[in-house]
Amino acid sequence: MALSSFAGIWLAAFLTLAIYSFLYKDNPVYRLAESIFVGVSLGYEIGLVFYRTIWPNLVERLLADPGPNWYLAIGGILGIMLYCRYIPKVSFLGRWALAVYIGYFVGVELMQRLHGDVLPQVRDTMLPLSSLSSVTFENLLIIVGVLSVLIYFYFSKPHTGILKPVSRIGVYFIMICFGASFGYTIMARISLLIGRLTFLVEGWVKPMIALISGSG
Amino acid sequence: MDDAQKIGGIDKRWVYILVAVGALIPILMPMGLPVKTTPAVEQLFDRMESFEPGQVVMVSFDYGPSSAPELDPMADAVLRHCFVKGLRVVVISLFPLGGDNQAKQALYKVAEEFPVVEGEDYVYLGYKDGGLAVLRRMAEDISIVFPKDTRGVEYSEIPLLQDVWNYSDIEISVSLSTGIIGEWWAILVNAQFGQPVGVGATAVSAPKYYAYLKAGQMVGLMGGMKGGAEYEVLLGNAYPELKSRSNVAIKGMDVQSIVHLIIIAFILMGNLVYLFSRSERKRAGGRLGSQ
Repeated sequence: MALSSFAGIWLAAFLTLAIYSFLYKDNPVYRLAESIFVGVSLGYEIGLVFYRTIWPNLVERLLADPGPNWYLAIGGILGIMLYCRYIPKVSFLGRWALAVYIGYFVGVELMQRLHGDVLPQVRDTMLPLSSLSSVTFENLLIIVGVLSVLIYFYFSKPHTGILKPVSRIGVYFIMICFGASFGYTIMARISLLIGRLTFLVEGWVKPMIALISGSG
Repeated sequence: MDDAQKIGGIDKRWVYILVAVGALIPILMPMGLPVKTTPAVEQLFDRMESFEPGQVVMVSFDYGPSSAPELDPMADAVLRHCFVKGLRVVVISLFPLGGDNQAKQALYKVAEEFPVVEGEDYVYLGYKDGGLAVLRRMAEDISIVFPKDTRGVEYSEIPLLQDVWNYSDIEISVSLSTGIIGEWWAILVNAQFGQPVGVGATAVSAPKYYAYLKAGQMVGLMGGMKGGAEYEVLLGNAYPELKSRSNVAIKGMDVQSIVHLIIIAFILMGNLVYLFSRSERKRAGGRLGSQ
C-alpha cells in the first residue's frame, strides 16, 4: 500500500470517528473535524468554481477572442460588483448587482415553475373517473387528496361547515405525506451510516489486519 | 409505572449502540435478503434497455460525498448498463461540493471494466457552476457551456461529440442528484425542452419526485439506496456477468432492513411507554391524561 493511500485512509478513519464521537457528547475532537470539513469544503468550492467555470468560460474566452465575447464581461463585472458590499463607500454597487441577479432569477423561475411545475401537475390531476377499476380508485384518491389539502391551505374563509370535514381529510393526507417523507429520510440517514461503516470495516480495519498479518 | 418511566428515560446512547451493532452485523455477515423491484425503477431500466448501440446518453453527477452511499451504486449501475449496451456516454457534473470527484471516480472505475475509449465511447466534460443556467444553455449548444473536456481537448475535436450539440442529440439524461437538482431536470429540461429525463435521487428527495414521475416528467425514478438496489437487481438479471460487480446497494439493503426493524421496535416501545404512562396518570387522577 502506498504511503499516501495509507495516510489518507487513516486520516479519513480518524475524521469519521471524530464526527461520530459527537454521539457520546460534544468534544474538541468533533469540533476539530467539523472545522476541517467546513474549511476544506469552502476552499475546494472556490478553487473548483474558478478553474472550471470562471477561467474557461469567462477569462479564457475574453482573452482569446474579446470581439464576439464582449457581453461576457457584463456578467464578470456584475459578479465583481457583488463584492463591493464589503467596501462601505461603494457598497451600493453590490445591491445593483444583486437586483439584476434577483430580477433575472425571478423572471426565469416564474415561467419555469409555471410551465414545468404548475401546469403539468394541474394537468396530471385532471384524471378520468368514468370506469369501475382500481385505476379509477387511485385517480379518485389523488383528486380527493389534492382538493382537500388545497382547502386545508385556504385561509380566506374560516374552516367551518362543509370546509371543516374536508380540511380534516386534507390533514390526514398531509400526515401520510409526512410519514412517507420521514420514512424515506430515515432510509437516507441509515444509508450514510452504511457508507461510513462499510468504509471503516472494508477500507480501514480489514486492510490494516491484512497488512499486520502480512497478507496485504 | 416506574418501569415504564425507566424505559422512557433510557439514555439515547443505548439506541445509537444498538443501531451501530445492527448495522455492523449484516456488513460483516451479508444475509442476501431479497430486493423486490418497483415500476418506477423498471421504467427507467426498460427505457435504457430499449436503446441501440451508439446512441447517446447523458449522465449528470449532481451529488457529492455526503450522498455517495446512496447514489454511487446507482451511478455505477447506470454506467455499466450504458457500456454493456455499447451506448455513448456524456458525463457532466453540476454539484459543487464533490460532484466532480464522484463523477471521475465512478466513470473511470467503470470504464476500466469495459473495452471503451475516452473521447469515442465516453467523455467527461467536467463540473460547471450555474445549475439552471447551465441546463438552459445546453438546450442551445452544449459546447458553449463546456468548451473543453477535463483532459483539455476542445469540444469540436472530440469524436464522440461530433453529432452531439444539444438535448435533441441525446436519447435520455440521467441525473444522479441530491437536493433540488433532480427537480430542475424535470421542470426545465423535460418540461420545457422535451428531453426524456431519468432521476436517481437521495431518499430524502424521492417522495416529492414521485409527483413528477406520475406526471410523466421523469421516465423513471430511483429513490435512495432501495432504488439503486432495484436497478442492480434488474441489471444483474439482464446481464448475469455484471451480477458480482453491481451489488453494493443490494448488500446495503440487508443493513437497512435490520436497522429499520430496530427503529420500528423503538417507535413501538416509545408509544407503549407513552400509553402506559398516560393511563397511569389518569388512574392517579392527574390532569395531564385528560387533556
